[in-house]
Amino acid sequence: MKSIDEITRLSAEDLERISLDESIPVPEELSARVKAAVRKPARWVLPAGVAAAVATLVAVGLTLTQNPEPKDTFDDPYLAYAEVEKVFAKISGTVAYGAEKVSQSEQTLDKLSYWK
Amino acid sequence: MKKLYILVAMLLVSITALAQDGRSLYNKYSDYDNVEAVYISPAMFRLIGKIPDVKMEGENVNLGPVIKSLSGLYILSIKQGAVADELAADVNHFIKKGQYELLMEAKESGEVTRMYTVGDDSVVNSFVMLSHAGAETNFICLDGTIPRDKLEELIADAAKD
Repeated sequence: MKSIDEITRLSAEDLERISLDESIPVPEELSARVKAAVRKPARWVLPAGVAAAVATLVAVGLTLTQNPEPKDTFDDPYLAYAEVEKVFAKISGTVAYGAEKVSQSEQTLDKLSYWK
Repeated sequence: MKKLYILVAMLLVSITALAQDGRSLYNKYSDYDNVEAVYISPAMFRLIGKIPDVKMEGENVNLGPVIKSLSGLYILSIKQGAVADELAADVNHFIKKGQYELLMEAKESGEVTRMYTVGDDSVVNSFVMLSHAGAETNFICLDGTIPRDKLEELIADAAKD
């Protein structure tokens, strides 16, 4: 009997020649062994797949219908820009406050390390 | 069959969680009484991008590169105890689900402000700022493909002034 390595090294012509050689006996139980080796998918896999696909479609549909794009608050881009500017000023103000606190802490730490 | 029900339920829960974003929060709260709501669409951001010299008033900070990368701005401001708390809870939930990263937290006179971002090293896909103090909650959400370096530069420059 050939090993798997030997079989993989065979050319397509060799494999064809061997498969047509009727002098090589085919084990009787081969067919049954192959069927047993190939596992049938579980019975619930197909309905589960269909149900998952339906659920996905329903969820996507619900998301699109229940979460529409809101109406723009501004018609004028200059007013919209002023609002964006306000937002960035607010964000920057918070960051500045944080940076100030960090700076104060660093000064306190410097003083403490000086007196050590 | 039990496995099938569990699988479908998990799928629906995960899709619903994914769907929660700035827009869904805006759609939920913008029609409430005593709520200030602002939405700027991607189309409006494209128009703003055409305004020459988009600089912050009184400051030498150019907003242009960041504005061009934005695709949505959602602002909600609620000054009504129960609803304000509900919004804060919803935002915290969506922050956790959306794998946002805490950028900074500031506490001042009982007001807690947190900033979060989600994206990668080079791009910020969403920026969220949540301020909560007593009966007031302010929520700002910026969506887009914002270059992280430009956003950080902008915030740092503005903070210096």
